[in-house]
Amino acid sequence: MSVKDNAVPAKVLVTKIGLDGHDRGSRVVAAYLRDAGMEVIYTGPWQRIPAVVALTQEEDVDVVGISSLATDHLIVPKLVRALEEAGLAHVRVVVGGIVPDDEVATLQERGVSKVFHPGSSREEIVATVQRLAQEARRERPEI
Amino acid sequence: MSAKAKSAQLRLPGFDSAQATWQTEYTSHMRDDPPVHNRSGIEIKPLYTPDNWDSARYMEELGFPGAAPMTRGIYPSMHRGRTWTQRQLIGYGTPKDYNRRLRKLMDTGVTAVSLIPCNSVYRGYDADEVDTELLGTCGAVVNTVDDMLACLDQIPIDRVSTAMNDPLPFTLLAFVLGAAKRRNIPWTKITGTSNQSDYISHFVANHMFLRLSLPGNRRVLVDEVGFCQQHVPNWNPVSIVGQHMQQAGATPAQAMAFALCTAIQFTSDCIERGMQPRDFLPRFTFFFDISLSFFEEIAKFRAGRRIWGRIVRERFKVDFDRAFRFKFHSQTSGADLTRQQPLNNIARVAVQAMAGIFGGTQSLHTDAYDEVLTTPTEEPSRIAINTQNILRDEAHLTDVIDPLGGSYYVETLTNQMEEEIEAVVAQIDALGGMYRAVEAGAVQRMIGEGALAFQERIESGAQKVVGVNAYRIDESAHAGPASQRPESGSMEAYLESLQTYKSSRSRSRVQAALSDLQRACNTPEKNVFEQVVNAAVAGLTHGEICACLRRELGFGQPLIIV
Amino acid sequence: MSDVSTAVDRLVGGDKATLARALTAVENARPQARELLAALQQHTGGAHVVGVTGAPGVGKSTLCNALIREWRARGRRVGVIAVDPSSPLTGGAVLGDRVRMHEHDEDDGVFIRSLAARSNAGGLAASTTDVITVLDAAGMDCVLVETVGTGQSEVDIARTVRSTVVVSAPGLGDDVQAIKAGILEVADVLVVNKADLPHAEQCARQLRAMLSLREVRAWQPPVIMTSAQTDQGLQDLADALQRHNDESNVEDAAHGSIAFADWPQRLLPRDRFAQHLGIELLAGGGGHASVRMRVQAEHISFNGTCHGGVTFSLADTAFGLASNSHGVVAAAIDAHITYPRAVRINDTLTASAVEESRGRRFATYRVIVTRTDGATVATFTGTVAIIGDKQNRDSQK
Repeated sequence: MSVKDNAVPAKVLVTKIGLDGHDRGSRVVAAYLRDAGMEVIYTGPWQRIPAVVALTQEEDVDVVGISSLATDHLIVPKLVRALEEAGLAHVRVVVGGIVPDDEVATLQERGVSKVFHPGSSREEIVATVQRLAQEARRERPEI
Repeated sequence: MSAKAKSAQLRLPGFDSAQATWQTEYTSHMRDDPPVHNRSGIEIKPLYTPDNWDSARYMEELGFPGAAPMTRGIYPSMHRGRTWTQRQLIGYGTPKDYNRRLRKLMDTGVTAVSLIPCNSVYRGYDADEVDTELLGTCGAVVNTVDDMLACLDQIPIDRVSTAMNDPLPFTLLAFVLGAAKRRNIPWTKITGTSNQSDYISHFVANHMFLRLSLPGNRRVLVDEVGFCQQHVPNWNPVSIVGQHMQQAGATPAQAMAFALCTAIQFTSDCIERGMQPRDFLPRFTFFFDISLSFFEEIAKFRAGRRIWGRIVRERFKVDFDRAFRFKFHSQTSGADLTRQQPLNNIARVAVQAMAGIFGGTQSLHTDAYDEVLTTPTEEPSRIAINTQNILRDEAHLTDVIDPLGGSYYVETLTNQMEEEIEAVVAQIDALGGMYRAVEAGAVQRMIGEGALAFQERIESGAQKVVGVNAYRIDESAHAGPASQRPESGSMEAYLESLQTYKSSRSRSRVQAALSDLQRACNTPEKNVFEQVVNAAVAGLTHGEICACLRRELGFGQPLIIV
Repeated sequence: MSDVSTAVDRLVGGDKATLARALTAVENARPQARELLAALQQHTGGAHVVGVTGAPGVGKSTLCNALIREWRARGRRVGVIAVDPSSPLTGGAVLGDRVRMHEHDEDDGVFIRSLAARSNAGGLAASTTDVITVLDAAGMDCVLVETVGTGQSEVDIARTVRSTVVVSAPGLGDDVQAIKAGILEVADVLVVNKADLPHAEQCARQLRAMLSLREVRAWQPPVIMTSAQTDQGLQDLADALQRHNDESNVEDAAHGSIAFADWPQRLLPRDRFAQHLGIELLAGGGGHASVRMRVQAEHISFNGTCHGGVTFSLADTAFGLASNSHGVVAAAIDAHITYPRAVRINDTLTASAVEESRGRRFATYRVIVTRTDGATVATFTGTVAIIGDKQNRDSQK
């Protein structure tokens, strides 16, 4: 799974928005992505949406991963819109955590690329994020 | 151990030769026998005998229920006399929504009020300060004394215990006291617990706090203990939470150790403020996670009782049994539940609940099987309560006190867990105690490593999880339960009523209470919590009180260790 | 115009998205990176580059956070490079330093970039110098480079930055021992952080004692006690860094070294007409300068667009600062401007002047003026006569 020497590592932001603070999941995922050779920007919980947008832009990340355990996924569509408005439509957004089935479709319609449920394997998470990062790179202007 | 083992063999003719025969046969039956470890890292043998634990140590290690060393339980009659409190944590929507649900649950056998507030409350904000989409989705929105009156409408709070998930600065308790005042109920009749009062567990594990600085948190907690001692004597002001640590990744032994170290810290802080441990310790309670590691959890609770008794007697020199009774609430672990084949969670919760019961819990929350899919819905919540009813009334688990006591395995494991827990306590002591260890990030680091190590075991298949890495089925056709979200109309109506509330208050009264609160924050001899209660009674909202504390006592961020 | 020159204009004009992508390009050594860096060189020199290093646990990130706050209070634009180690096995990294600087996430005057050290074991990413160049060209007044202290990295960082801050804290056991290992040689400012802890004063005393054993030098590193929690000592730290920068500039000028960074900063406040127009300096030094202003109601002509004289004045200011940035007086003798696009009220104009040629007596400059959207609204060429002390210039060569 590791990246070849001369390849540029995928850059991923792992963060939490909204009100909840449980971060077990996001820490484990951050470690998975790191061990797969990616560069992970990790923040604590409670990020405001404008801060996540600024961070996404400054760090020029390919994928934003939002961990949501307690309904914070309900404001992810706002984040997706804010990223688009900031000219960051190429950035892929994924959500991991507890998302009821009937709300998964809503998230995907609003631009979330993938929702990972509890029990998702390391392999699946790493492969999906890797693929989405490549897609984002292709769509993004060089400079 | 060898001296004691010898004495067992002396009393038991034929022990050695029978053991040797068994050992040979066991080895020939087992082609492959990799070592087994529990979650705390203790190696588990295939068989336990008097070689491992000898009943000659009975008085020293077990004794009788209700007396030191408390291993078998903190009350003489334990569950034979009075079973645990069925405390089903609920919270949802507006105060009215909550009241409706609470009354329904009380009809099904729930014997105490419990309240989970909305995450906005945990974080120290009023409903009008956060994203409306999130309001009431994880707990009830409670911002004022009026809200609390609505939550507790028709509930006899002078007779039933009203435990609240009441994070610092304990505004929910303040609102209950305000509600009692309006209903002419004396505060001495109010019973219950400020659950989630343990700011340390919030700071290191689940980060559900109001972003108050650590020193600020420390001050308010001690003040609340002092206030309750004087004015609300039947309220448990402190619940020390090992549960958050274990849910975040600490092993059962670590979680128990962290909780004990936190209790040591709080006790020392209260003593420093001039309080007598003999007076306040009887009101200290604990809250733990119960994982699926059945025997390990039972041993954890038995060992914890023993160590806490020793700490109170030896460190704090209090030899008064009410002061070292290790009273705890426990909750089945949500981290062990699976989204795959969710009905399997009912079996998991039953086993976890049994571990809690055999561990001697005073109060129990069983998770609804859909907790991993959504905020728990009605039917799964009912099944969760009935799981407790079945274990008690149909399975007769409560006929005998500490029924696993004397098991060679359970006693050996209890001793080993005790050693493991003591080792972590020594580590924290060496760092200068829990407060310092948390400031330095040491506890956070241990928890993070634990979470990763456990996930590693699942990924490698060393830890089987049914439906996740074993016995999987194609579930693409199964849809989970539909999510329940508060009706947007009722939340809008609530927000409007909050506006009306804010604008119709007596401005001078609010202003006076706010300045009193400010002054108390900046005067070390004053009791901050007393002014929190006064502010709530005077009409201040939760968010206003929290904002004032943040301003006066300092802003705080959780320390993120990566 | 090529992609690169468009990018340079946008970047110098303060466009954050371009800055972010340019950083990625240089970090990943993309094909355009060389060309981009070459084009950006002329826009550099304006930033005071400060390195912060120290052993794990001394509170570097929290100190950086507080220093950024202090600089922001002084109106500086701040770029931050937070370097974290990469795993030697997988190449992956968790970049967590900016967690402790999150209060600046939404501040437009602060740009934080995390950098994985990648294969560079020294603790400093190979691309750090290039990343500094880009942030400098983007008009940052201060660029802060935070690295974990690993022994080698202190020396690396001191080579890369203008001022090196070495942070220690009491209670780390052998902290002072660690400081002995050659770090005194590279430190320009020594900080004892966590000053509220016991033994902080003792730690500072030990450092001062060690410094006193050294030979006397022009710059004597101050020992500053800080508490990033309470902001104690942060003003002292910012002042000390400013002093170090000023003295280094004087020293550079005296030794004829490359840094002329300070000249435009010193000259602009003396230009009363530029002050009147509300012109501010973005970057300057070594033959180039970038300035910026916002078009107000009083700048509008009878056509309803910005008066050409205003645009000219802005371009002329950049021209004047660039031509005088070598520390030698130069006077304009000729200038010409074209206006391909109109400028409206509330547009922010940025003028960037670059040196096209410089001889013994004359030098020529090209200035491009861009609008908020990056479009070029004026191109300007100008010539100066160098009337400074020729003797002095000659001796520098």
